[in-house]
Amino acid sequence: MASRILKRSMMMKSTVESLRIAAAAASRHYASVAVGTDLVSAAPDVRLQKARTWDEGVSSKFSTTPLKELFKDKKVVIFGLPGAYTGVCSAQHVPSYKKNVDKFKAKGIDSVICVAVNDPYTLNAWAEKLEAKDAIEFYGDFDGSFHKSLDLEVDLSAALLGPRSHRWSAYVVDGKVKALNIESAPSEVKVSGADVILEQI
Amino acid sequence: MAPIAVGDVIPDGTLAYFDEQDQLQQASVHSLAAGKKVIIFGVPGAFTPTCSVKHVPGFIEKAGELKSKGIDEILLVSVNDPFVMKAWAKTYPDNKDVKFLADGSATYTHALGLELDLSEKGLGTRSRRFALLVDDLKVKVANVEAGGEFTVSSADDILKAI
Repeated sequence: MASRILKRSMMMKSTVESLRIAAAAASRHYASVAVGTDLVSAAPDVRLQKARTWDEGVSSKFSTTPLKELFKDKKVVIFGLPGAYTGVCSAQHVPSYKKNVDKFKAKGIDSVICVAVNDPYTLNAWAEKLEAKDAIEFYGDFDGSFHKSLDLEVDLSAALLGPRSHRWSAYVVDGKVKALNIESAPSEVKVSGADVILEQI
Repeated sequence: MAPIAVGDVIPDGTLAYFDEQDQLQQASVHSLAAGKKVIIFGVPGAFTPTCSVKHVPGFIEKAGELKSKGIDEILLVSVNDPFVMKAWAKTYPDNKDVKFLADGSATYTHALGLELDLSEKGLGTRSRRFALLVDDLKVKVANVEAGGEFTVSSADDILKAI
C-alpha cells in the first residue's frame, strides 16, 4: 500500500515537473529559428530598414519593410553577419554571395538579402564600398528585434560591438525556412557562405 | 543625467578607436584631456549628411586655426562602433588632427547627458549634436543643438568662443 502511494506521488511529481517545464517553454517570447520555422509568423511585428542614404530616408519618410514583403511567395537566400565594416564580414562573407549571385538566379532565387544589426545609412555606405548593392539587398535590423525574435542575437561587447547577430544563412521559400546554417563562432565563415547554401537549394 | 554644462568637470569614460598600426585601442577621456585644452564635439551618426558634409569637415578645416589658438586635441565622439568610425574617418583622407572616437554603447554620451532617441529614423539611441571646449577637464563652453539643427555647434562657433 505504502509503495503504491509512493509510486503515485512520484508520478504526480514528474507530471508537475513536466508541466512546469512546458509552462516555462511556453512563456519564452522568442522561438529559436529552425528548419520549418515560418519567419513571418515567428516575428509578425518585426520590420527591417532597407539600406539607404539619409536623403532617401527623408524622402521615404523613414519607411520600414515588414517581413511579409521580403518573403511572401518568394524564394530567398538570406544571410546575417555581426557588423558592417568588420573584417570577416567585409573580406569573406559578403564577397562570397556577391560572386555567386548568377548561380543563385539560375536556381530560381528571387533575392539575396544581407541583414545586420546596423543602421540603414551605415549599411548603405558599406554596401556601396563593397560594390555589392546590385547583387544583394541590404537591410538593417538597427535595434536587433529581427534577430532577437529568431534567437540569433549574440553579445559581442567583448569585441566592442555590443548586441549583434550570429553569422548565419538560410534558404527561405514563401517565408518557411528550408535550410539554416549558423556559425558556431561569429568570426568564421565555415557553414554560412554562399557555397554551402548553393548545395542546399 | 542632466546635460553637461559650463563649469562642470567632464565625466570620465572609455572610448574606442583604431590606432595608426590598425590596433583596436580604448582610451579614458580623462587621460586624453587632463591638463589640456580640448574640443569634444559629438554627432548623431557616421555616414549621415549633416555630420559628414558640414559638421566634421568644419572641424577638419579649422583644425590648424584651433591649434594655433592653443587647442591641444580635437575629439569627435559618436555612438558608432570603432569599425564604422574607422571607415568613416577614412573618407576624410586629408584629416590629420581630428580623432574619431567610438562610443559604441552610448555610455559616455549618457554620462554627458546628451543622448537622443533617433529610433524612428532607424538609428536608435545616439548623441545630440554638440561642441564643448574643455580646459583641464573643466567645461568652458557648451554648445548643444536643440534638435536636428546645425546652428551653434560648428567649428566657427567654437572659434568665436575661444
